[in-house]
Amino acid sequence: MNPTILPHSTLVRVALLFGVALLLGFYIDSPLFAQESTEAVPPPPSIEAPSETVPAREPSAFEKKLDGVAGYLVEKIAAVLFFNVLFFTDSYNIPLAVIWLVLGAIYFTLRMQFISLRAFYHAIKVTMGKYDRPGSEGEVSHFQALTAALSATVGLGNIAGVAIAVATGGPGATFWMIVAGFLGMSSKFVECTLGQKYRQVRSDGRIMGGAMYYLSKGLAEKGMKGFGAFLATIFAILCIGGSFGGGNAFQVNQSLNALGETVPGLKENGWAYGLVMMVLVGIVIIGGIRRIATIAEKIVPLMCGVYVAACLFILFKNSALIPAAMNTIFTEAFTSNAAYGGLIGVLVQGFKRAAFSNEAGVGSAAIAHSAAKTRYPVREGVVALLEPFIDTIVVCTMTALVIVITGAYNNPEYSEMIAKNQGAALTSKAMDQQIEGFKYILSGAVVLFAYSTMISWSYYGERCWTYLFGDRSSMIYRVLFIVMVFLGSIVSSTNVLDLSDLMILGMAFPNILGILFLTGDVKRDLDDYWSRYKKGEFEVNTDQGADS
Amino acid sequence: MKKNCVVVPVDFSNNTESSVRQALELAAGEEKIHLVHVLFALDAVSPGVVFGGVTDESRMNHINEKFAELKLRLDAPKIESEIRVGNPGLEIADYAAEIGADLIVIPSHGYHGVKRLVLGSVAERVIRHASCDVLVLRRSDAE
Repeated sequence: MNPTILPHSTLVRVALLFGVALLLGFYIDSPLFAQESTEAVPPPPSIEAPSETVPAREPSAFEKKLDGVAGYLVEKIAAVLFFNVLFFTDSYNIPLAVIWLVLGAIYFTLRMQFISLRAFYHAIKVTMGKYDRPGSEGEVSHFQALTAALSATVGLGNIAGVAIAVATGGPGATFWMIVAGFLGMSSKFVECTLGQKYRQVRSDGRIMGGAMYYLSKGLAEKGMKGFGAFLATIFAILCIGGSFGGGNAFQVNQSLNALGETVPGLKENGWAYGLVMMVLVGIVIIGGIRRIATIAEKIVPLMCGVYVAACLFILFKNSALIPAAMNTIFTEAFTSNAAYGGLIGVLVQGFKRAAFSNEAGVGSAAIAHSAAKTRYPVREGVVALLEPFIDTIVVCTMTALVIVITGAYNNPEYSEMIAKNQGAALTSKAMDQQIEGFKYILSGAVVLFAYSTMISWSYYGERCWTYLFGDRSSMIYRVLFIVMVFLGSIVSSTNVLDLSDLMILGMAFPNILGILFLTGDVKRDLDDYWSRYKKGEFEVNTDQGADS
Repeated sequence: MKKNCVVVPVDFSNNTESSVRQALELAAGEEKIHLVHVLFALDAVSPGVVFGGVTDESRMNHINEKFAELKLRLDAPKIESEIRVGNPGLEIADYAAEIGADLIVIPSHGYHGVKRLVLGSVAERVIRHASCDVLVLRRSDAE
């Protein structure tokens, strides 16, 4: 490509994408759309995933004071970042960031020519270690990098968020969730390829990478050093905020709620749970007890397996109902059902949940994938595209099918639970109905998912913190992080949780904006890699063991 | 008068080589130069650490390779080298005291703004804790 044309065409691309996102936002907010929604029986649910299962208990004076502080912060930050203006519309509370994420994902899918389909088989072979060779620079294998990134995404979003999507968006939301998961695979591919390409290898062999590095270094190469540094700094600040909120307080709050369903008296004494979690997180991130983090990293895939197996068991047990359920999901995906807020209401629910769950386009996973041993950045990008597949297309769909098949989403018995947006509790009830006593296993799994997500997000947050403030200040971050663990258990305010959502959603803006300037390079690297792969130039390793 | 024991903290940045060359001019011989690199304590949550790919041993192996390359470039194989783990300022001062150094030659970090506020400077810490003379070199790549 002619370098003199690049900035211009990329700017046009950015402007178009942003323009379409804005127009969509305004259209959905328009009276035309609002008219459709006036027939909606239930008021549209709040978009904030975290507020879904906030324990309903009377806050103490101290908590109220904290809420006030958090509310003030949300208001001020939102005002500074114009989130109120850009993110939410009056009628459907659609975060513009979700539209931005989806449009970005569509563009990446088309530009990379459906990499999610054509590289799927290759991704599985790479993850299985077929291309591993000792000696490649990096810290972990492809499989380990995928596991690490998955532990940050597989969690409460898959259990609680999906149940709410189906309960409030109807079964049709499942279809759109799968579509968003599929599109997200291309976003993950692009960001994780860039994460590898612009990673920094330190003198002690440690790898530093992620969106803050490709935004600063990648855009500097394009002659936009200042702009790149600006985007990288904004990204890092938002990621730190996201790690305190969505990656921490939200996890504690949600898991407390789920555990409260099976442990009597826990909800009333949430602080005790917060204290235990604070100690457990503290001994790992401050105490440096690596064994616990290692065990958690290993147990999570197992728990994920148990969860999927349980879902499959339920589906198998009700196999006669699957064709009808599939039919409902597909039909309702394209039906304007007033109860679910019309066609766009259904579509938005599905897209929203997928985006919150798999983080594709948010840029966080690139931090973990940059550590993988490989000589080819594209190869790690290919591995990363499996993430939205596993997280959304497999795990989220399992939850959705169970909710649809068991009829939990429209069971009047659970209407209060749905009204209160208690997603984890709804999934728990639906599964316990089919497998007696499963709610106990599920609450244990939820706590483990929350714990491993916190550990993973503390790593993302710390990398961004040290990018901004240097290695020597990381202890300050760790102390702040464990304080947030405790606060997550005692503050039930949506203010703190809104703040975390603003941060995590906000990460998509600098990330996708910066990536748009680097997409051409990724495409060239992909074309080169793919032609060599097709020619059979890459040797397949029959032993396990980093990268040809 | 030439120095008998000179400690040079190195971070393998662009200025490392020129710092060591200046120290060589001040020392009585290359064997009187003691390079020290201080590693930060490993975290417990990054994938490399969790899956065992990154350990203190693996990091020290990388640093020892860097030391070997540096000595080769300087054509000074008798230079001593040491790796420590912990707080850079304190570790450098402690190491200098342990080996009875009479001079520490250290490049200044030259941070500005937020990093300066949060990090201060390794050189500042060394000056505060060292029991011998400290020569601070201005880095050309200072931020």
